[in-house]
Amino acid sequence: MFEWLMESFYSLPVVMQILFKITLIVLPLMLAVAYTTYAERKVIGYIQVRIGPNRVGPRGWLQPIADAVKLLTKEVIVPTNANRFLFLSAPVLAIAPALAAWAVIPFDDGMVLADINAGLLYLLALTSLGVYGIIIAGWASNSKYALLGAMRSAAQIVSYEIAMGFALVGVIMAAGSLNVGQIVMAQEGSIYHWFLLPLFPLFLVYFISGVAETNRAPFDVAEGESEIVAGFHVEYSGMAFAVFFLAEYANMILISALAALLFFGGWLSPFQGIVPESVFAWPLIGWFLDSGIHWFLLKTAFFLFLFLWFRATFPRYRYDQIMRLGWKVLIPVTIVWLFVLGVLIFLKVGPWFA
Amino acid sequence: MTIETVFLMVFALGALTGAVAMFFLRHPMRVALALIGTMVSLAAIYAQLGMHVIAVFQVLVYVGAVMVFMIYAIMLLDVRDRSFTERFSPLLVAGLAGLLLLLGVLVDGLLRGQPFPAVDVPPDAFSVGTFAIVFMEQFWVYFALTAVLLLVAEIAASAVIDIRRRGQDVAAAQAERGNERG
Repeated sequence: MFEWLMESFYSLPVVMQILFKITLIVLPLMLAVAYTTYAERKVIGYIQVRIGPNRVGPRGWLQPIADAVKLLTKEVIVPTNANRFLFLSAPVLAIAPALAAWAVIPFDDGMVLADINAGLLYLLALTSLGVYGIIIAGWASNSKYALLGAMRSAAQIVSYEIAMGFALVGVIMAAGSLNVGQIVMAQEGSIYHWFLLPLFPLFLVYFISGVAETNRAPFDVAEGESEIVAGFHVEYSGMAFAVFFLAEYANMILISALAALLFFGGWLSPFQGIVPESVFAWPLIGWFLDSGIHWFLLKTAFFLFLFLWFRATFPRYRYDQIMRLGWKVLIPVTIVWLFVLGVLIFLKVGPWFA
Repeated sequence: MTIETVFLMVFALGALTGAVAMFFLRHPMRVALALIGTMVSLAAIYAQLGMHVIAVFQVLVYVGAVMVFMIYAIMLLDVRDRSFTERFSPLLVAGLAGLLLLLGVLVDGLLRGQPFPAVDVPPDAFSVGTFAIVFMEQFWVYFALTAVLLLVAEIAASAVIDIRRRGQDVAAAQAERGNERG
């Protein structure tokens, strides 16, 4: 049956094969985005000793579907004197890079849409494009709040991109490759081989920058409701607003997936090299303990939980504090650690660089 | 005609259209977006030709960094400026003529059947490793010099703006004093 399915798949034209693979990535991603919003409301609810959404469907499980239907049926209002074309293009510009970046994300060994050599550079290039959606939304809305939000967001994203880029340079130095799959395989061996240990400061910088790049709390000054209402998307309603929402959550999942791939061994099992190989042959338990896509998804879910935890825990940073943290703390830390890393690689410190 | 050729032609057309649109569009934001369109199309062409590193740097440096700052500056311009309200510049005719000329060259090249001359390039000529070694061996001095020159230009521009602003402040203060005496 499986062989027949594979044969049928490979007999399709190449374009159809690619479209099918894209659908296989995008559909679960959209579902994950929808249920991340539900998880966010539930997690923050429990942290604040509330129940969270529990009315639509059993335990509120159908809440994201109800939200989607509501947003789809609401009117998209274009403000007076707004630049209509750019106003409607901005959400597309926000979500396109967030989805396109998934092309080079490997879910398991060899399970990747485009296995390109410069994968990490491609990711950096696409994450740098996400800012256009925000800038253009703010500018085209013909609203002072939106413009202020867009300016804040652009400055923040550009600032934190540098720290994130430097953190990723450390990963490239450690793995000796720009291919995301090869970076994961460079961490093979055991949990001690993961890049988390030698690159711990860079991991912290990467994740903090990731939270700032996605404009999430505590770095959400771009949409700080107490100051500028909702920032760059204040004038958006209906599906146009929902697309910004989708882009933000897709970016959150992307940052979490990258943290898992670059620092936590991706799909590699934490039990690899620790429990005897024979354990992996056990039915079910062996499959679970062995490396596979489930480890990648679990690690990604853990980092997504951190995003939600941060939002429920930290108060919003002031704008000047965000800038100071980015330029005066994170960037110097990464530069110093890149020198340390160079020395570690030169001295062939094991088990990572032996 | 393979699908690669179709994509190549689509992106080539996108690059040309964006470039020509820059001639006749009036509003700075539209011009900047046209330039971004051209740059992204060029990156796509590089990627189609197998030069992934160059394609990525094209997007990363020009679209993701340089143009963001340009757009940032354009956002702060006065949108009520009357010159922006006219959709097209006086160079509309020249721009359209340029577009037709470029399209003519493209179509002519395609009709001749050899639009893209075959070049003997080693398979790893544009890999990250080769690119990095050539860059560090031959071009880093020029790169560093250009960076210093840009920095000097930025400081000079800031100084000029500061001097002009101070001059305007002094003139305004003198005018105010003159009014008080009068």
